[in-house]
Amino acid sequence: MPLPRDFAQPPVRRDWVRQLLGPVNEAKWNELARDLFHWQFAQVPAYRRLCLAHGVTPEKLTSWRDIPAVPQQLFKQTLLYAHDSEPPAAIYVTSGTTTGQPGRQHLLKTDIYRAVAVEGARRAQLFAHDVDLHFLTPSPTEASYSSLSAMFGFWQKARRQISPRPQFWVRNGHFEFTKLREILTTQIQARQPVAICGTAFSFVHLLDAWAGLPPLRLPRGSWLLETGGFKGRSREVSKSELYAQLARIFSVRDHAIWNEYGMSELSSQAYARGTSGLHHTPPWARVLVCDPATGREVGVGKQGLVRWFDLANTDSVLALQTLDLAERTAQGFRLIGRLPRTEPRGCSLSAEDIQARNLSPTP
Amino acid sequence: MTTRQRLDLLARAHPRLFPRTELQRLLRDQLGDIDALDKWIVRNGVRIRARAPKIIYHICAGNLAVSAWTSLAHGLLLGSRNVVKLPGHRDDSTARNEILAFIRSLPAPLRNLVETHRTLDTGLLRRADAVIAFGSDAAMDSIHQQLCWDQKFIAHGHALSLLWLNDPNQLTNRQARACALDVLTYDQLGCLSPQAIYVPPATDFDALGRKLANALEAQWRGLKKKPARPLSVAARITEARDVAHALGHRLWLPPKNHLGWTLIHDPDPAFQPSPLHGVIYLRQVAPSRVQTALASVAGRISTVGVAGRLPARLENIFLSLGVTRFCAADRMQFPPLTWHHDGRTSLADLVTWIDADPSA
Repeated sequence: MPLPRDFAQPPVRRDWVRQLLGPVNEAKWNELARDLFHWQFAQVPAYRRLCLAHGVTPEKLTSWRDIPAVPQQLFKQTLLYAHDSEPPAAIYVTSGTTTGQPGRQHLLKTDIYRAVAVEGARRAQLFAHDVDLHFLTPSPTEASYSSLSAMFGFWQKARRQISPRPQFWVRNGHFEFTKLREILTTQIQARQPVAICGTAFSFVHLLDAWAGLPPLRLPRGSWLLETGGFKGRSREVSKSELYAQLARIFSVRDHAIWNEYGMSELSSQAYARGTSGLHHTPPWARVLVCDPATGREVGVGKQGLVRWFDLANTDSVLALQTLDLAERTAQGFRLIGRLPRTEPRGCSLSAEDIQARNLSPTP
Repeated sequence: MTTRQRLDLLARAHPRLFPRTELQRLLRDQLGDIDALDKWIVRNGVRIRARAPKIIYHICAGNLAVSAWTSLAHGLLLGSRNVVKLPGHRDDSTARNEILAFIRSLPAPLRNLVETHRTLDTGLLRRADAVIAFGSDAAMDSIHQQLCWDQKFIAHGHALSLLWLNDPNQLTNRQARACALDVLTYDQLGCLSPQAIYVPPATDFDALGRKLANALEAQWRGLKKKPARPLSVAARITEARDVAHALGHRLWLPPKNHLGWTLIHDPDPAFQPSPLHGVIYLRQVAPSRVQTALASVAGRISTVGVAGRLPARLENIFLSLGVTRFCAADRMQFPPLTWHHDGRTSLADLVTWIDADPSA
C-alpha cells in the first residue's frame, strides 16, 4: 500500500480542501475516507490501537462504514493528534460540563476548519440573505480555546464585505444584552435582516434578561441559530419551549430558527431548521445512527447513537462515536439529545458524582 | 400484634431473605431484648422499653429493590406504619416492580402496615417520625431540607465498594468465583457492588486476568435472569471497552464479545468509577499508596471485600479512609442483617427509649 498523504504539508491540505468542496460521489467519498484513515492510523497511536483491537487496518478496509470510531470520551483522556512533532496552531477545549473534565481537539492549522465551517454554513443556506451577524459568545480573541467562537469568527471574516458590523456580545465573561437590543432596534428600523447565533444557554439568559420587555419584530430574512446544551450553565428549557419563546420574542417563525449540531472534536457541522427539523451534514461529512451493541447502523425509524465521519477532521480522528441519541430517517437523522445517564444508580457513585462533590482527599 | 408475631410472619414469608435467627439476633443486638417494644424490660436496675416510630417514610432508590426490602423489613419489625415512596417513572421500572412484588408477598397483617406512593407526599413526609432514604447525595440534601428538626432522618447517599486480593498470584479458582459473584450480583448496581479489584505489586496479570475472566463468564452463564443491555447500557459498556483499547490497557472480554462482563487492567491505581453493568477494573497499588489511590472517594467506601487475609497495616489504611465494612469475597452483597448499615444501627436509630424507676 502506498504511503499515506502527509497532511502536515500545506499543498496537501489545500488540495484536500479543494477535493472536499468539489463534487464527491460515493466512490470518491470512499477513496478520500480511506486516504485519511490511512494517515491517521499511521500517525495517531491511540487510534491505531483501537483499530487493531477491532481488526481494521488500511490494508483490510473495504468501506468507510467499517472505519472504527473513537469514543468522544477519549478526547478527555489522551492526545489524539496526527502531527506529534509539530505544535498545533489551535487547541479547542470541550465544555466538560457533563463530567467536569474537558476534552481537547488539536489542529495543526485552522485552514481546513475555516474552509468547511464557512462553506458548510453557506451550503446550508444560512447566508442566503444579507444579514448582519450577532454572536452571543466571546470573540475568538477572547476565547481562543472555543471552537464555536472560532467558527463564528470565520463567518465574521467571510461575511465582512457584506455584513460589516458583526459583533460578539460576550465581553469579559458578561453578556451585553442591553447594547445588543439597542443595535437590533436600530437595525429593525432600517429593515436590515439580522442573524443571532449562540448556544442554547446563552439564549435562555437572553430570554431571562428581556423577560419584561416587549418583543422585537426582526425584519424579514432574519434568523436565529442555537447550538449546544444547557447543563450547569442556565436553567434548562426544552427545545420546543425554547423555540416557541424565541419565535415570540423575535417575531420569527419556527422555521427561521436553526440548530447547529457540531462539537469541538469535529471540524464539520450539521444543520436543522425548526423544532422538528432533520439534521443534514455537508457532503464531506456523514453520520450513521448506530446500535452500540452491534456497532452496526440501525434501520430507518430506529434509534441509535450518532457516529460521525468527518473528512475535514484531518488533524485528529475522522470517525467519532458520540453518546448522542438520534433516530435514523430516510433523509437523514433526527437528533433526540444526549443519552441520559445509563440508569438510576441510587446510592452507587459515578464519575459525575465525584466531580460534582469534589470530594476532598483525606489528610 | 407483638414483635414476636411480626417477626414470625416476616420470617415465614421470606425465610431466605430474613432468617428467623437473624431477625431475633438483630432485635437482641440493637434493642437488648426481642420484647423491648412490647413490655418493660429491666436493664441495669432500670425499667426501659422502646417506642417505635408511628410513621416511617421510606424513599426508595431506582437502582435496586433489595435496599427497600430491608428497610421495609426493619419498619415491619418495629410495627410502624410504613409509607413507601416508590422509584419514579423516570427510573427503570424493574426496582419498582420488585418492591411492589415484595409487598404483595407479605402476609396480610404485615401488608396492612404498608402503603405505597408513586410521588413524594410532602405533607406525609413532614408528619413521619422517621425518614429512611436511599439515593444520590443531591437527593439526600433535597429531602433533608424538607424535614423538621425533630424528625429522624436515616440517609443512605452515595457509596461504593471494592475488592482487595491479598495474594493474587495464588488466587484459587474458588476465590475467583467469589469475586465474580460479588461483581455480577445485582448487575453491579448497588453501593455494595465492587467497582474495582485492587491487587498488590508483582501481580501476574496474565494468569490473574485469565482466572477472573473464566470465573466471570461462568458466573454470567449461571445467571438465571440475565440483566438487560438496552442501548444506554450497551453504549457505556462499549465506550469503556474502546477507551481501554485505545489507551492500550489490557482487556479480557467474554466469548463473542457479549456485553455481560468486561475486565480491564488500568495501570493507573487511582480509583475511577466503573460504568457498572459488569465492567470491573483491575488496579495495582502498593499498600503505601492505597491512601492516595482512594483519596477521591474517601468517606464513600462502603465495603472492602477481601480474598485472602487483609494485613493489619492495610486494614488501618482502609479504616482511615472511612470504610465501614470488611468481608470475605463472595459476601459483599449479602451482609448479615445484624451488621451496621453505613455505620449505623438500623433499628436502634429508629426507636425512642422510655425509662422508668423500678418503683414507679
